[in-house]
Amino acid sequence: MVFLRSEEHLERWLGANGWDPGATMTAATLNELARLWWWTRLDPAWRPRTPAESQAILDELGLIGEFWRLA
Amino acid sequence: MDELDLRIRNHVYASFVEDGRARTPEEVAAALGLAEGEVAAAYRRLDDAHALVLEPASTEILMLNPFSTVETQHRVETGGRAWFANCAWDALGIPAALHTDGVVESVCADCGEHLELRVSDGKLAQGADLLVHFVVPARQWWDDIAFT
Repeated sequence: MVFLRSEEHLERWLGANGWDPGATMTAATLNELARLWWWTRLDPAWRPRTPAESQAILDELGLIGEFWRLA
Repeated sequence: MDELDLRIRNHVYASFVEDGRARTPEEVAAALGLAEGEVAAAYRRLDDAHALVLEPASTEILMLNPFSTVETQHRVETGGRAWFANCAWDALGIPAALHTDGVVESVCADCGEHLELRVSDGKLAQGADLLVHFVVPARQWWDDIAFT
């Protein structure tokens, strides 16, 4: 995943690489996702999340639909 | 993931956060009183479980997500220390994992312009309107994690 300055830059970047559009969010949303996703990563009691737990994090931020299905 | 794998995983993460250096199986074996082969096998299991990422056909650690063990275009400063991240998501994941404020320095993937994002009290105080794009659907993220 990469940062882009604006929609204009996003469209040019996709076109230059020949990629179909995937999913776009603001960095503010990504920051919320990062906090939910990585907050416990260094906890000595860390255990791997189940796929359902990971999916629930995406759901919580409204990242729903086929693109965001983990399995 | 059994208790031995978790113990090794936790040691690798804690030592990386301590000094920014990913440990070899030999070093972990010496620190934890284990056989090097036992640790190397655990590294491979942890890689299979996506708990860390090894270089291909190697026991050298490439990613301790959200941290990268090698230099990337995503640099993160927290508390006077600098880290590299694997992607935009991981870059914002480093302040989250460390429970601290941070500054992310990166580039626009299109034009290469320098970008700076600031995390303060958990919020994005600078760079909030920048865009992030996911090319790869979630189901395929781990098919090629370096590309993802």
